[in-house]
Amino acid sequence: MLNRVLVANRGEIALRIVRACHEEGIEAVAVYSEADRIAPHVKAADAAVELGPPPAKDSYLNVERILAAAQRTGADAIHPGYGFLAERAHFAEAVEQAGLVFVGPPSSAIRMMGEKTEARRRMAAAGVPIVPGTTELLRDADAAVEAARGVGYPVLLKAAAGGGGKGMRVARTPDEVRKGFGQASSEATTAFGDGSVYLEKFVERPRHIEIQVLADSFGAVTHFGERECSIQRRHQKLVEETPSPAVDAGLRAAMGDAAVRAAQSVGYVSAGTVEFLLDPSGTFYFLEMNTRLQVEHPITELVYGVDIVREQLRIAAGERLDLPVEPRVPRGHAIECRITAEDPFANFLPVTGRILHFQAPTGPGVRWDGGIETGSEVGLFYDSLLGKLIVWGEDRERAVRRMRRALAELLVVGLSTSQPFHSRVMRDETFLSGEYDIGFLERVGDALLERTLSPSDVEEIAVAAALAEDEARSANVSLATGEGTETAADSAWLRAARRAGLRWR
Amino acid sequence: MKYTVVVGEHTVQVDVQGDAVSVDGAPIQARLASVPRTPLRQLALDGRARTFAMLRAEDGWLVQVAGEVWSVSVVDERTQQLRELTGQGKRGTGGGVIKAPMPGLVLRVEVEPGMRVEPGAGVVVLEAMKMENEIKSPTGGVVRSVRVVAGQAVEKGVVLVEIIEEA
Repeated sequence: MLNRVLVANRGEIALRIVRACHEEGIEAVAVYSEADRIAPHVKAADAAVELGPPPAKDSYLNVERILAAAQRTGADAIHPGYGFLAERAHFAEAVEQAGLVFVGPPSSAIRMMGEKTEARRRMAAAGVPIVPGTTELLRDADAAVEAARGVGYPVLLKAAAGGGGKGMRVARTPDEVRKGFGQASSEATTAFGDGSVYLEKFVERPRHIEIQVLADSFGAVTHFGERECSIQRRHQKLVEETPSPAVDAGLRAAMGDAAVRAAQSVGYVSAGTVEFLLDPSGTFYFLEMNTRLQVEHPITELVYGVDIVREQLRIAAGERLDLPVEPRVPRGHAIECRITAEDPFANFLPVTGRILHFQAPTGPGVRWDGGIETGSEVGLFYDSLLGKLIVWGEDRERAVRRMRRALAELLVVGLSTSQPFHSRVMRDETFLSGEYDIGFLERVGDALLERTLSPSDVEEIAVAAALAEDEARSANVSLATGEGTETAADSAWLRAARRAGLRWR
Repeated sequence: MKYTVVVGEHTVQVDVQGDAVSVDGAPIQARLASVPRTPLRQLALDGRARTFAMLRAEDGWLVQVAGEVWSVSVVDERTQQLRELTGQGKRGTGGGVIKAPMPGLVLRVEVEPGMRVEPGAGVVVLEAMKMENEIKSPTGGVVRSVRVVAGQAVEKGVVLVEIIEEA
């Protein structure tokens, strides 16, 4: 039984967790930086502790201060949310050592999944498919051809010391492997001073599909189907949906089983997400496991009728998973659009500023998980995520229509957001067909983000601007009462002159 | 008042005389209502209804439509005429001569022969009616010749600077 949970996070996810606590009759303690004194998550909580200055290292990443805040407020558990300290094994450990409950997996599971080569080895041992390849370095071009035969074409030759795409070559034939080996090796020598090369299967046009798992501390592990997360920009997810247009019941069961095995192999407890690459032939490969609550968890909640944060709290309190039996069938379709403070027309550059007006979409099938309100100041200290717009519909087409409608209702005034990008995705033919992969944005992004206006848009905007201008000018004239209209006319004229770039001497 | 409104690449003439509004000469039914204590305005236009978020900007309005912000320039007739005289608001290439739009005194010459200029770059500052007017190049190119010097009085239409297309 938990009585008080400290939420070691901010923004929409902190608010999400505070809400779950309240629904479970648990008190919530917020922590906040100086920049977040009046943030929504602080107002929603039952108690709040200021951590320090705005930079995350002085506030949301400061383990000592967070533990001290928990002790001071008498919290018996800490929920890390996502990001910040959520996947730092040392934090989970410190929470455990302080005699508090960490609402998440054991620190050992975080550690095992955090080391990518270790995780890969474990997954292979547990029978979870990984991208096939060599674990040892290749001696020469002959060894590379031999290895390529083993994993199957096409293959990717990678510099062991590589990064940033340097020393990488895709090869589709033995000849290309020989050539690619030489090129990758010499490129890697030049770039990193180390010419070692290894090889793995090249997954073409993959989708990014992840499986939601839940595990209790009695060894029960179960999964809640997949989330399709292939609409990304530089590995940052932008749109997620479930079910995936590429996953049928058979594939779901196979991926679900693999995800459950992955979780079991590290003694996982709580909510977690196993990420896979899925190739066009339906073959999938383990990518990594996110040992925390995932940003896009709400779409799973909508189609499976589960409250994942509530389950996390129950599991943390030592309760057993108490859920309907498998196989579960997703009901309807859910989509999430991440509304970020980024300008999609300027290469998704982060923007800052005050939100002058905010209005969340409402109505049937719409959920807004946000962390902003009118007056919120959006700075550069934290993630650009303002909120998540999530919809549910009876099927994919209805969910898409509902998302279009909800996006049209969303009002964030004062700074640019990703909203117009999402409106366009919801009308894009490739997206609508469901036939997309992680290269979506690269292929259609530019055309998608062309700025066009219909003739009626132009007319409406022009008339509104002219009427607003006219109104503002007559308001100025009437304000000048007592000084005579001449003065007012002068000043209007002055303004006009200033606009024209003219100056009084 | 007559306004020249520029939205994206489109220019629209809107005439507002009290309740009578016309767009490019055609009368329309238009009414704009503010939603109190918000930046929202509701437009009723020939039976169509739209809600825009509108913020005052330097040279007009920022209008937000479905999350997308358009910078809309709104200029009244008089200002527009002044601008046309001083060569603002026009863009192009191809060179040509820049003439004095009004009689005045050359205060400064801001370019020299051989200099590259961008469209809209100031070339000469002319004093007229006690005001300094920066005369701008309507085109980009290279300054071929400067025909005036500081302190010189010029009549309207006198060639100030000659611009040629860049090779």
